[in-house]
Amino acid sequence: MSDEPKSARVIGPRAVLARVAPSMAVPGTPPIVIEPEIGPIAGRVVIDGKAVAIQLVRRDATHAILVEGEGDRALRHRVVMLPLAPAASAASRALGLSTREVIVDGWRIVVEIESAQRAALRERARTGSAGAARSGPTEMRATIPGQVLAVSIATGDPVVGGQPLVVVEAMKMQNELRAPRDGVVARVAVGPGQTIEVGDLLLVLE
Amino acid sequence: MPDPSLRKDESSAPPLIASEVGAPPFRRILVANRGEIAVRIIRACHEAGMEAVAVYSDADADAQHVRLADFAVRVGPPPPAQSYLRMDAIIAAARETGAEAIHPGYGFLAERAAFARAVEEAGLVFVGPPSGAIDALGDKLHARRTARDVGVAAVPGTLEPAPVDRADQIAAILEDAARIGYPLLVKAAAGGGGRGMRRVATPAELPAALASGSHEAAAAFGDGSVYLEREIAPVRHIEVQLLGDVFGRVVAIGERDCSLQRRHQKLVEEAPAPGLSIEERRELHRLAVTVATAAGLRNAATAEFLRAPDGSFYFLEVNTRLQVEHGVTELVSGLDIVREQFRLAAGWPLSAEASAAAERAAEPAGHAIEVRITAEDPSRDFAPTPGRISRWVMPSGPGVRVDCGIEAGDRVAPEYDNLIAKIMVHAGDRAAAIARLRRALDETEIAGIQTTVPFHQFVARSASFGAAELSTAWVGEHWDGAASFEEAARVAQLAAALDAVDNGVLPSGATGGSSAGAVHPQGNITPATGNGRWVAAGRQAGTDRWPR
Repeated sequence: MSDEPKSARVIGPRAVLARVAPSMAVPGTPPIVIEPEIGPIAGRVVIDGKAVAIQLVRRDATHAILVEGEGDRALRHRVVMLPLAPAASAASRALGLSTREVIVDGWRIVVEIESAQRAALRERARTGSAGAARSGPTEMRATIPGQVLAVSIATGDPVVGGQPLVVVEAMKMQNELRAPRDGVVARVAVGPGQTIEVGDLLLVLE
Repeated sequence: MPDPSLRKDESSAPPLIASEVGAPPFRRILVANRGEIAVRIIRACHEAGMEAVAVYSDADADAQHVRLADFAVRVGPPPPAQSYLRMDAIIAAARETGAEAIHPGYGFLAERAAFARAVEEAGLVFVGPPSGAIDALGDKLHARRTARDVGVAAVPGTLEPAPVDRADQIAAILEDAARIGYPLLVKAAAGGGGRGMRRVATPAELPAALASGSHEAAAAFGDGSVYLEREIAPVRHIEVQLLGDVFGRVVAIGERDCSLQRRHQKLVEEAPAPGLSIEERRELHRLAVTVATAAGLRNAATAEFLRAPDGSFYFLEVNTRLQVEHGVTELVSGLDIVREQFRLAAGWPLSAEASAAAERAAEPAGHAIEVRITAEDPSRDFAPTPGRISRWVMPSGPGVRVDCGIEAGDRVAPEYDNLIAKIMVHAGDRAAAIARLRRALDETEIAGIQTTVPFHQFVARSASFGAAELSTAWVGEHWDGAASFEEAARVAQLAAALDAVDNGVLPSGATGGSSAGAVHPQGNITPATGNGRWVAAGRQAGTDRWPR
């Protein structure tokens, strides 16, 4: 099973997909799929198609140690797991997602978990209908809540990557939001004085 | 933690003054602040046998400082300008409750000479330096001129405000800048905490930096005056804790290294500053006392210095207030600085404890480190993360002190400073203090919002920090927040998924998830997999919990 290419792998009904919640907006953390290994070996699971020795040793309802590997060389990570909760947004709940806040080394990480089978079906549906939107417009959204202090561009302005576009004041500090790439401003969605929340659309680059 | 009362025997105790025996310096104190520092001051009041009056905005009606105080007065809605910055409301609250003195904490009104003056004029006592000294030292340009006058070297730069609003003067500013040399810093004369500060690498950037720095300074302090200062790099930031009495005696209680900063906000502070000889310490303390004495300092203040790579010290500024990081000095000196502030404000001479601590200032007891837990995301350039705290477990045990004003269920409001806790450790030497810090941070659990705990976990395990390779550039050179987050995210995903697989807790469709610890909804765990693993894990948990 572990030798099979990932795409051709059969995902069992008990497989779970876990990913960092998109609200945390840190790219580059790929989701994982994990399922119990077929066979009578305790302490081994199949992660992304490979059988590995890994187990979660529970201390109480909240605390656990994740043990990676076996014997003296095993890595032990302390984890604090808060109760499983329905996903925050109605859209995610409708998709059957649950979330769980996990603390590791001081990081609070909201992990979404769902049935891997269901996730695979949805992914197939999505890639079928998408395709055209590859080089589309870039939406810039607020990563911090606060008040817009200044907007230094207008619709139609050309911008270069790294150029400061919007100044947001939060907790008495001024934060400059810069262009992620070269482009042209297609739309400005905020103005000075406006209060914004995390995730609010600020502007669209084309 | 050294107990100040045990130290009395060691010092050549001068005769005690009658007022110091038993009687507290005041009967009732109003604490014009919120959060951890309000809690810290209220605790000092109670230990000294005084009552405390809290003030609060609508955002803080249920806050810890309100609960701990003996009286509480609402001063307005959440925005600071309508509550904690309202001098009239705060003085009225003191009058109403019969408080005799007002402790401003840090931030808010702590360094507003106008407030100190208003308190004095209202016939109350301001717990801090007199308004004249706040005026003189709070204006960084004035402080720089004072240092020059008494022969203490300040960081090279200008001594008068830059005329930012006059287009015809820009040539003169550029000339000053060329003389100082690039890169340089535009700094706010009334500034603090990096607000209004801009780094300028080339002449072309200077006009914009002056304008935006001045704007931010005007917004933050009500004074847009800015000046230029050479950037010294790499540099260490070392400051000296000062106390002064009304008889004009000023002493240094010890120094702190505050080099680990991000955007000019301190993140980690320690006492004593590592790597200084006793002679260097004495000399630094002497420089600080010289400037403070010349400025007529009383009560508590801190003189900040930069230490260049060649070991020379440059005077930076004096903060005429209790510092956030005063606790590390308390730990290694055994002195309660806040309590001392009350005695000094009452017009008492420096206490025997303070004198003894000053004598030992160059040879402190052990080593203390403080880490600031702030509502900031260290993987996203320390962006603010206001929100509700769902879990709050602070460390304890030997040599650990936690100053905080928050608990589980509290909301970190975007209106206020994002410092939510200070975790301090004290041990015999620096290595032991770092080991204790690691242990304390491992016990810390905060959920609901992201904090700087992961950054401090990294610092406590860093070989560079362990070797005291400190500079204000340290964070940028060593910290990779995204990489640290990704490793933690991988572990978090594994743990959450593994738990779901083990317990068979799979989110089941549109009804949302099932709760933690529920049995498998389909009930089809085969003994070979799920149950077997669960039993194995459970057995190990048992052995871990009951070691032989």
